[in-house]
Amino acid sequence: MPRAATLVLVGLVVAAPWLVAAAAPRQQRYVVHVLIFTALFAALALSYDLVVGHVGSLSLAHPAFFGVGAYTAAILATRAGWPFLADVHAAALAAAVVAAVVGVPLFRLTEHAFAVGTLGLGLVAWIVANNWVDVTRGPLCITGIPKPVLGLPGGPALAVTTLPGYYWLALAALAAVVLLYRRLTTFRLGRAFHAVRDNEPLAGAAGIDPLKYRLLAFTIGAALAGAVGALYAHYLSVMCPEEMTVALTVNLLVIVFLGGVGSLRGVLVGAVLFTALPEALRLAPTWRLVIYGALLLLVVVRSPEGIESLLRRASGARPGR
Amino acid sequence: MALLEVRGLVKHFIGVTALDRVDLAVERGELVSLIGPNGSGKTTLFNCITGYVAADGGRAIFRGNDLTNVPPHRVARLGVARTFQQVSVFPRLSVLENLLVFLQQHQEEHLLARLLRTRRLRRLESEALERARRLLDLVGLSDNADDAAGSLSYGQRKLLAFAAALMPDPDLLLLDEPAAAVNPTMINQMKDHILALHRQGKTVLLVEHNMEVVMDISQRVVVLDHGQKIAEGPPDAIRRDARVIEAYFGR
Repeated sequence: MPRAATLVLVGLVVAAPWLVAAAAPRQQRYVVHVLIFTALFAALALSYDLVVGHVGSLSLAHPAFFGVGAYTAAILATRAGWPFLADVHAAALAAAVVAAVVGVPLFRLTEHAFAVGTLGLGLVAWIVANNWVDVTRGPLCITGIPKPVLGLPGGPALAVTTLPGYYWLALAALAAVVLLYRRLTTFRLGRAFHAVRDNEPLAGAAGIDPLKYRLLAFTIGAALAGAVGALYAHYLSVMCPEEMTVALTVNLLVIVFLGGVGSLRGVLVGAVLFTALPEALRLAPTWRLVIYGALLLLVVVRSPEGIESLLRRASGARPGR
Repeated sequence: MALLEVRGLVKHFIGVTALDRVDLAVERGELVSLIGPNGSGKTTLFNCITGYVAADGGRAIFRGNDLTNVPPHRVARLGVARTFQQVSVFPRLSVLENLLVFLQQHQEEHLLARLLRTRRLRRLESEALERARRLLDLVGLSDNADDAAGSLSYGQRKLLAFAAALMPDPDLLLLDEPAAAVNPTMINQMKDHILALHRQGKTVLLVEHNMEVVMDISQRVVVLDHGQKIAEGPPDAIRRDARVIEAYFGR
């Protein structure tokens, strides 16, 4: 995309709450709410794509890391009174530690066994959230998670209380994830990740330790998922076990694989389409899920490599990163 | 002491002894070929030396380092490069990136340095680029530098894999059938490349079925049959060796 077009697009995205207010004042709250979800899901999907798209390990454990982060932040904020920025960092750290610990045995499994093992981890995390009532309150959920307050101790503080405010916060988080994603997936690091994904035995001959790079992507992906989980919990102000079920994995799989696995643009487009689309289809409530399913099928049939490959063909460009 | 010393290497697969107390020494600067009928253990020997297969007994020692139970990426970083019989490239990386990725791990950097792309790292990268372009030129793939490696022809991929193995300037090069299944022009090309390496003083251990290539360029030939070393010597002697003739043609 030319630089000017990118700038215009970024401008439109940042100005979205005002545009919505001008275009559909009565719908603003709802539309901005969907936009917030879209930004959070885009960030989460990018963190997931680090693992499935760039080192090629089909992990199904992402809800576990999202949940560990969300619960860590929720508990620290409600019971220990931690400030927002501190509990977000703690959430990322907690998810990363879990990923690093379970990653070592999980990566001894390959391909399908790895997928099933990570699916097991996701289920265990959900069961723990449901049953460890002393800590998570189980199905009663953790409630009253405070609105984020930005700022360092002693300095000026900025409370994020409005919906547009939260949208910009989510957008800033997404921007940070995008920057990190690009740093990780290009140049020498990206090359090492892709080598492991494309041909593991040959990666060994190139001096790359496949386990190390797989664990690295897995752990960083988990840390980012944990941070997004924290933002999510602060936004909803409630955290329940249902937020971390297999349904979340399915959502992420749809976004990443139908958007364009291993591609920044593809995943972003996927996140916008598959988060906003089901909401837009509420205009036709009866047919909503039917239309959604039909569209999924259409993408799978017409473009098995995802929407990214369609965009690429349309622009006649070389493979994007 | 030889650059590579293999002592009494043993490897059993279920029901088969793939390597049966194999001894082998390769001196610095030598060009040695490893031949033998299919299934005689040549590739298994390569796999044991480079850490892809754990040996059941014996050792392989490279420049004084015991390679037993050392994983492939560590063997590579010690200065042993290898190619694979089945042509092996990273299909979704570009041709140029396929070369770059073979050098970068030998310039171990902190994760943080890679993330921040320090000045030192960018300098190393531009030197690597220069070297990669020279090697592409050497094997005649300069015009394909930006293509995905998966889009190359079989022969081109073979040349790319060869060039990639040279990227880190290895002390020992293990080539697994570089002249198999390519056209006669390319066989000659490969032969010239290997001879050129030899003249530069590189140490090469070659597995090859093409006897013309083997007899033309090797200083010394080692023959395996059923996992055992049955003969070793200069090409002329091997050609006349009764046990070798028997192994290849039967009695």
